Formats: sequence, C-alpha cells, structure tokens
Amino acid sequence: MTVEELRESIARQFGRSLHIRTLDTGSCAVCEQEIRLLAAPHYDLNRLGFFFTPAPRHADLLLVTGPMIRAFAVAARKTYDAMPGPKIVVATGACALGGVYPVDPFTHGAVDAVLPVDVWIPGCPPSPLALLHGLGVAVGRLAEKVRDLPFTEDLYPERTRGGS
Amino acid sequence: MTLWFIRGLRRGVVTTRYPARPDASAASLPTPPSFRPQALTSQTADRLALICPSGALHRDRRVLVYDVGRCTACGRCAAEAPDAVIRSGEFELATTDRSVLIKKIPVRGEAL
Amino acid sequence: MTAVEPKTVPGEVTTFQVASPHLEAVVRDLAPALRLADMFASGGDATTLRLVWANDTVGQAGYVITETPLETGVYPALSDVAPAAFVEECEIYEQFGIRPATGKPLNRVMLPPHAGPPPPGLPTLGHKPETEPEEARAQHTVGGHAFEFPFGPVRQVGVESLYYGLVTSGEEVVDLYLFTWHKHRGLEWRLRGKTPQQALFFAERTEGLSAVALGWALAAAAEAATGTWVPEAAERTRAVALELERLYNHAAAMAALCQSTGLTVGQSAAEIALERLLRLNAQAFGHRYLFGVVAAGGVSRAPDADAIRKILPDAYGEFERAADALLGTNSFLDRLEATGVLTAGQAKVLGLVGPVARASGLAADARQVPGGPYGNETAIATGTAGDVLARFTVMLAEAAESVRLIGRFLDEGTAEGVAELPRTSGAGLGWAESPRGEALAWVELGDDGRITRARLRPASARNWRGFDDACRSQNVFTDIPIIEASFWLTVAGMAR
Repeated sequence: MTVEELRESIARQFGRSLHIRTLDTGSCAVCEQEIRLLAAPHYDLNRLGFFFTPAPRHADLLLVTGPMIRAFAVAARKTYDAMPGPKIVVATGACALGGVYPVDPFTHGAVDAVLPVDVWIPGCPPSPLALLHGLGVAVGRLAEKVRDLPFTEDLYPERTRGGS
Repeated sequence: MTLWFIRGLRRGVVTTRYPARPDASAASLPTPPSFRPQALTSQTADRLALICPSGALHRDRRVLVYDVGRCTACGRCAAEAPDAVIRSGEFELATTDRSVLIKKIPVRGEAL
Repeated sequence: MTAVEPKTVPGEVTTFQVASPHLEAVVRDLAPALRLADMFASGGDATTLRLVWANDTVGQAGYVITETPLETGVYPALSDVAPAAFVEECEIYEQFGIRPATGKPLNRVMLPPHAGPPPPGLPTLGHKPETEPEEARAQHTVGGHAFEFPFGPVRQVGVESLYYGLVTSGEEVVDLYLFTWHKHRGLEWRLRGKTPQQALFFAERTEGLSAVALGWALAAAAEAATGTWVPEAAERTRAVALELERLYNHAAAMAALCQSTGLTVGQSAAEIALERLLRLNAQAFGHRYLFGVVAAGGVSRAPDADAIRKILPDAYGEFERAADALLGTNSFLDRLEATGVLTAGQAKVLGLVGPVARASGLAADARQVPGGPYGNETAIATGTAGDVLARFTVMLAEAAESVRLIGRFLDEGTAEGVAELPRTSGAGLGWAESPRGEALAWVELGDDGRITRARLRPASARNWRGFDDACRSQNVFTDIPIIEASFWLTVAGMAR
C-alpha cells in the first residue's frame, strides 16, 4: 500500500464511522453547547456515522475548543498522546484559531501552538451546521469552500466588467 | 414511558437534511463579513483594523489583511463602515489549510 | 466613619469609606442584615479593599460598598466573620499579595501551581505574593479511611474542563474540592486600558452562556461611573435579551438533568426546545447566544418583535411539554428528590445567588432592584427543599415568567439606541440577574474614559462554592452530574 492509498483508506473508514473526543482548552462554554447539540435531534451526528466517545483511546478525532490556556497545555498534550493513530485534530471556534485572545502570558492564543491541527473551523461559536461541515471536511466527505471565497464584493460590477 | 413514545411520534422528525440538503436556519446565522474594495479607503481600512477586537484585521500597505479564522462576526467593523463592510452569508468555512483563511482585501488608492 | 448602617437606598449604590482598623467591626454589623455579594481589591501601590453588600429584601433592594485603603499588607480575617469571603480572600492574595491578618492557610484559586512566585509567574492585578499559598484542605477521615482521587480536567465529552478532587469512603461523597485554574484567561487583567465598549467584547465571552447578563452588568457599571442614562426602550431591549437568555439556559439545564439521569427521551425533548429557542435568538437578535446585543450606553440593535411573537409560543410550548412530561415521570423525579440538598442556612452563609439560592428559600433576585425596566411585578419563584427537584421546579417557574415578561416588554416597546458615554473618570457598580444568579461588574475609569480596574463577578464565581456542600450531603458519585446540572454553572465564569 502506498502512502496515498493508506490515506484514502483511512479517510474512507473515518468517513463511515468516526469517534470524536472533545477537548476544552479554555473556552467560554458556548462552543461546548453547540458541540453538545450535534447529538441533539435537530442535527443528530450519529446518522452521519459520527459518534462521541469519552475515551481518547477509542477516539479518531479530537475536537478542540478554546485558546489553549498555558496552564492546560499539559492536559491537552496528554489527551492527544493517549489517542492512537491515525488521528485527526480539529480546532474549532475563533479562540482556537488565534482570535479573541492573543499570545500572552495566560494563553498560547491558538490550539496549533501545542497540537498539530488538521482542520480549522471558524465561528464564534461555530453553529452545529458549521461543525457538521467541518467534520465532513475532516473525513474528506465534504468539499472545502473557503479557499475560493474572496470575501469581497464589487460596488460597481458593471464598471469593472466594461473596464475603467 | 408510553407518554414519551406517543409524544415523540406525534411531533415527527425534526432532524436536518444537512449536508445533503441546505438548512433554512442558516440564513439567520451571523457570518464573517465581506468587504467592498471600492469603498475601502485607506482611512477606513486603518479604522477597521483598529476596531476589530479579535485581531482579524490588519493593514499591510495596499491591502487589508483579513483573517477569517479569527473573525467572531461581532459586527463592529460593519457598524463602523457600512458602505465598505457587508454580510457574507458564508458559514461553511472549515479548511485543512489555515492559510486559505487569510484574505487580502485591496485598499482603494488615495490621491496624495 | 466607624459605623455603617446595614440599610440600603432602594435601587441605589451607597459607598462608605471604612478605615482599616474598623473593618472587622463593620463587617460584623453588616453580615447579619446584608448579603456579602463580592469582595475585591484594586490599586497599584496603595491597595483598596472593597466589599459589595446586597440587600435582598423586596422593596428595599440595593447595594452598599465599603472601601478600605490598606496601608499594610494585611487586613482583618473577614471570612471568620463572613464565611462568604474566603474564596475572595484567596483570590486577593494571589492577585495583590495581601492577606488576612491571622495568616491562616489560603487556597490557590486562579493561578496554577507552576505560576510560581515572581518571576516568571503570571501577571497579576497588583503586587505578586511573596510566597506560594499554603493550601487549606479539610481534614477528612471516614472510620479512619478515605480514598482521595482527582477527576479531570478532561472529563466527559462536550463539557468544560474542570478538575475536582473527590474524597470517598467507597461510593459516598465525603468531600469534593474544585480547581478551576486550568481555565483562567486573566479577563480582569485584560480589560485594563480598554474602553467600556471594547471591554464588552470580552465581558460577553467571560461566560458566553451569560453573555447578556454580564454584558449588561459591565455596561451598567460604566454607565453608573459616567452618569449616563440609557433610553428606556433600550433598557427593555436588554431585558428581552436577558429573558431569552434565561429561557434557553433553563432548557439546556433541563436537557443536562435528563442526560445526567440517563433519561434520553427527556434529553431529546429538552434539546428540541433548546434548539428552537436558540434559533429564535438568531432570528430576534442575530446571534444564537445573543452576543453583541448590549452596547455601552444602550443596545446595538432592536429585536425582531414580530419574529419573537410568532416563534416564542411554539418554542416555549416545546419546553412546557417536555417539562410536564418530566414532572410526570417518577423514575426521573426519584433521582432528583433529596439529592444535592442545600439548606437555607448553608446558602445564606455562603452568599449563594440565583435558582440555587431561591430553591433553598432565599428570595434574592437582581431583577427586583428598583430602577431597572422590570418594575416591581416580577414574580420571584422560590422553593423550600433545596434539592435538585426544587431547583428544577424553580427554573420551570422562571421560564414561564420569562415568557410573560418578554410579552410585556415587547408591548411596552423596544428599540435600539446608544447614549454616548462621556469620557470622564469615575467608578460604578452594575448588576443583572443572569440565568444562574446575580451577575455583578464594577469598573473604575481613568480620565481618558478607559478602564483602570474592572471587576467581573458572574454568578458562577459565587455559586461553585455551594457545589461542595451540595455534593457532600449524603450523595453518591452518580449524583454528582445531576447536582452539577441543577446548578447549571460554568467553569469559565468561575475561572475567568
């Protein structure tokens, strides 16, 4: 098996049955509420083959919130190390992506300062729909969109079209 | 327990079809902004960079560097410059490449 | 001034200067009649100790602040007189290096063990302490034997990180103590130098599930400090947002209670109500958790009143039906009854607030402080048993009242609007009744209108100290999540 084939095989397996362990590195508790709602009737992540598991040993994916408070980093590292490979780390929420809290004596500022992150999900908080999209991206079932979004809009599209 | 069973059956299914089908509730979610380069003067760009509480905007000469990952959709930039900042409506923002969340918005040149 | 009257002016905050030698006597006078709501220090070289006292009596509700400049690094041991002060004494030692005169052991509360004496250590609000706190831990033996083990900070899936030490004789909870410093983000340190409007961004995210309450408290503190009047319609907008916040939190607490007792159908029913309420928030105010509604001087947007009137009856109907079904499910009620009992005496001595206090019989509610948009018609729900079931029924009654209040405020008229805060120095106290209890904020502004000291006291910062007592009262391990759900606090609000 080549590396590519192995990657594809892993993505296929995870795409059908993925076990998720959550990790709070210092959030304000709202990201956790949205994550809990993934299992609620409106969103029901189980129908997509995703499951929550409390044991890192059984987990495939680590869903991390919070700005990685320095006092917590050891516990974060231990949780990550306790997960057997292959594993995916998803950082979710503006805090985890480097927003809200800068690098300072209290926080690392972003999860990827301490853990190797594979998928980033923006939002404050990311809604359950955004989380479902992010999990789909993480297992290769959904396409990424944000690369091609310019986040700009022309005020006068006719002008630029005709050339100014 | 029969009570719960009957009530559940009567209410029916509430589960979203997302991601197979779009979900209407997404329309009222807060989303990171989009910018209008023609309305984004140099002064406005500087004001916006100052007002963002999450460090998502900073000025780099001719562009406003916009980190969608850091944005909390708090709306302060839109309130400050409603001509230059509008709602994007995008909530499917997950990526495997952190750098694609950093957008460079061109700043309109100002005559000196 | 040597004598401070234990009386408040309704709706007002009265401040007294108390010289350090008289502080203990003043506390002894005030403690029986008033509730010690908060204690904190401020200042650089000269530290000032402030105690915030609340009068909860209906019709007289107001606040008293005593200010004591400290010349030396010690002050009288107030937690002997007012046990409600112990956690704050520990916090003040960590942040300012000053301690009660008796020199008794203090616990580590905000800063982790490896924060260490300076340097490197973590930044503090004042002078760092010279030595590490020697921890005060209760002696515990049960027939000579007890097993103590740590739990957390990484716990069940989807809950915040929290470390607790459990002491047990086997199954029964003999003692339980909490460490919350894993989530200390240094919010109060962070707010220095910010304008009130900038600070609101962080105040909302101190404890996101109480974003409106804490934002309102901080905004009100800045408004009091600058003598700014918020337009009435904007105040009612804040109240609508606060009641929506209360509603969804109580739905979430109901879901958590069902989860903790293993009643999955109940959990699903409560979660359906919760999701509908969150979607209502998004339609009414543009954010599922109501971030960004409160602004310094008013509100940034008016609610979509039509959306609320149309959607709230259905969403609350879901909540009501789930609650009614739960109140008819004996296997569920059996788990809640006589679990996690807190007596009125315990709640009073610890200065607890919110549904936790009200379910134990203490009728304290920040909404009844005169001068706000609530008037004096808000029904305050109380219980007597002080157990999980009492807390649950109090929350249900509060949810019904919230729906009624929202209707009333919408009828009276809501609007957006911000009164500009003058850029002046001053100090002020603000409050709001969050879903978990009274949230307080105090700010001191410099001449440039920026914050020199901000004090944030979410209800969680006060109520976690009651969790130990509630878990100890004849409970077993499996009761701990049930009690935690009935308190419905956040670790983020305690650790800040």
